Amino acid sequence: MDLSSFRLLFLLSLFVTHLSFSHVLADSHFEGFDAEEDDPVEDDILHHHSIPSPPVTQSDSQPLSDLETKSHTDPNPVPTSDPPSQSDLQKPSTTSFDYWDEDEFEGLPIEQPPPEPPKVTETATPDDPESKTTSKPQNATVPKKSFTVEIACGCFLIVFIVNYFTGKRENENLALAWAAKFATKGSIFEKNFSLLGVGEGEDSPLLLKEGQTVFKFYASGRRYCQGLLATMELKSRHDLISRLFNLVVPCKDEITFEVYMNDEAMDQVVFAVAKKKAAKGMQKDVRDLQRFAGLMPTPSGRKWVVDELSVISESKEVAGDLITETVLEQVFGDKAFEKYGKNFISMHFSDQHPGMHRKMMLFKFALPDANHMADITRLVALVPYYIDLIGRYKLSSQARSKTEAARVKAAQEAYKELQNARQEALQRKKAEKKKMLEEAEAKLSAEAARKREAKDRARQMKKGMPRMKMTRAH
Amino acid sequence: MSSHNNNSTSANDPRQPSAAKPYVAQPVSPQDLPVDYSGFIAVIFGIAGVMFRYKLSSWLAIIFCAQSLANMKNVENDLKQISMAMIFVRIRNINNGNYGSIDGPVRPSNRWLD
Repeated sequence: MDLSSFRLLFLLSLFVTHLSFSHVLADSHFEGFDAEEDDPVEDDILHHHSIPSPPVTQSDSQPLSDLETKSHTDPNPVPTSDPPSQSDLQKPSTTSFDYWDEDEFEGLPIEQPPPEPPKVTETATPDDPESKTTSKPQNATVPKKSFTVEIACGCFLIVFIVNYFTGKRENENLALAWAAKFATKGSIFEKNFSLLGVGEGEDSPLLLKEGQTVFKFYASGRRYCQGLLATMELKSRHDLISRLFNLVVPCKDEITFEVYMNDEAMDQVVFAVAKKKAAKGMQKDVRDLQRFAGLMPTPSGRKWVVDELSVISESKEVAGDLITETVLEQVFGDKAFEKYGKNFISMHFSDQHPGMHRKMMLFKFALPDANHMADITRLVALVPYYIDLIGRYKLSSQARSKTEAARVKAAQEAYKELQNARQEALQRKKAEKKKMLEEAEAKLSAEAARKREAKDRARQMKKGMPRMKMTRAH
Repeated sequence: MSSHNNNSTSANDPRQPSAAKPYVAQPVSPQDLPVDYSGFIAVIFGIAGVMFRYKLSSWLAIIFCAQSLANMKNVENDLKQISMAMIFVRIRNINNGNYGSIDGPVRPSNRWLD
């Protein structure tokens, strides 16, 4: 909560400072402009007597200009608010004037000469009404245009901030609803794991929040596995822009269970179940599936998963053994899937996961909304069921020899690849070294050549000398 | 077939308090963090705002800054990038303050909000 309130403060302060800052800037801006505008006027009218202050030429011109603008505004007061405010602002300047120019005219002399002169002479020389008429339409047209942008963006920002808080609350409620359903006393995870939550001790927090959309739940202390990490990735409801984007491209709240199996508890199994389309993609993209497993055709003469799903497995035996009667009856069967399986996305067991934990089971489900959490009860029940099933599962010797061979082959390939990479790196290093040496040599040789040349020249000179002598002697 | 299809989850308590390991957060290096696109967009809009003195793009930069701020996970890491975008927006304002209006001598009232 601290963090979020800090963020709010930060956002608001940014917004406020932005507004105030630009306001101040606007003021200073128009002062500056006045000075710019009036500088050339000083050439025309030279009343320097009014100020005894240091010889800054711009400062001298200021009061004159003020007086002048006053005289401009006085004769015909204009309904638009700008000119009066301008004169109001500048009235005090005539009295407290000395430090004004100190603030104002830093670096101004550099800017003024190029653009201004023609314009200023225009505004200064012609009659008053004319200059008024030229400035009036500007004032009338520009604010309209600029305010639409400001109002729109300001409103959007406000809605954004409001949505940030409501969306955040929605996400938190969803995650809490999940935790309340599955991780509190008497719930499925409490019955299966001895340690729940990310901290230590009895009342450790159940959920860990990362950012505004990711919630993590950790459980440990169960046979066959080291731990389970559930990661909820929710829609970014707190972010108005993503929310609008999601209207076009809808996405789902997802929960992923990673079960880290004990090394001795998991046999050589590579197995996955997913929706048909996703399964094809997985088979291509996920490395261990691609290497060890293939899509399983539906076996004849046996109950199998619904048509929507397809099974990827290393062997028929594994697929047959892992898709049990119970599972078919509970979730994946024709009848049950319609009712309980609509939130199923995929599951993936593998003993060849890349990364820290090699033996891992992954379950991916969609999360229903907070009021319908019970919809995924059976899916969540798959997790402990499969932990036990896989923990007890042993391959037949035939299948084992096959998988063993495949793993040895894969390991060899990996080793070869590693070796290749290492060799390549070595070769590259060697080549670099050689290049360096050559370069150095080239440098050296250039120097040597120069020396040799010098020597040669000397020798030539020497050779030439005696001949000269000889000729002289003649 | 050496498979065991008996599902005896309820037969005995599966819990093993002795095997419990506390949660250890996996360290994530700054390179692996997801790219902060909105921060990037904000910087681009900010720069565009400075270069072309275009008000709308500065506003968009502010909005994307807000988005980036809303999405950040790690305060120290992300604040740098966002502050960069903010700086550009600021620069743009300062610029505007000094020599923003090219076409007219005095235009005070419409400048207070950009």
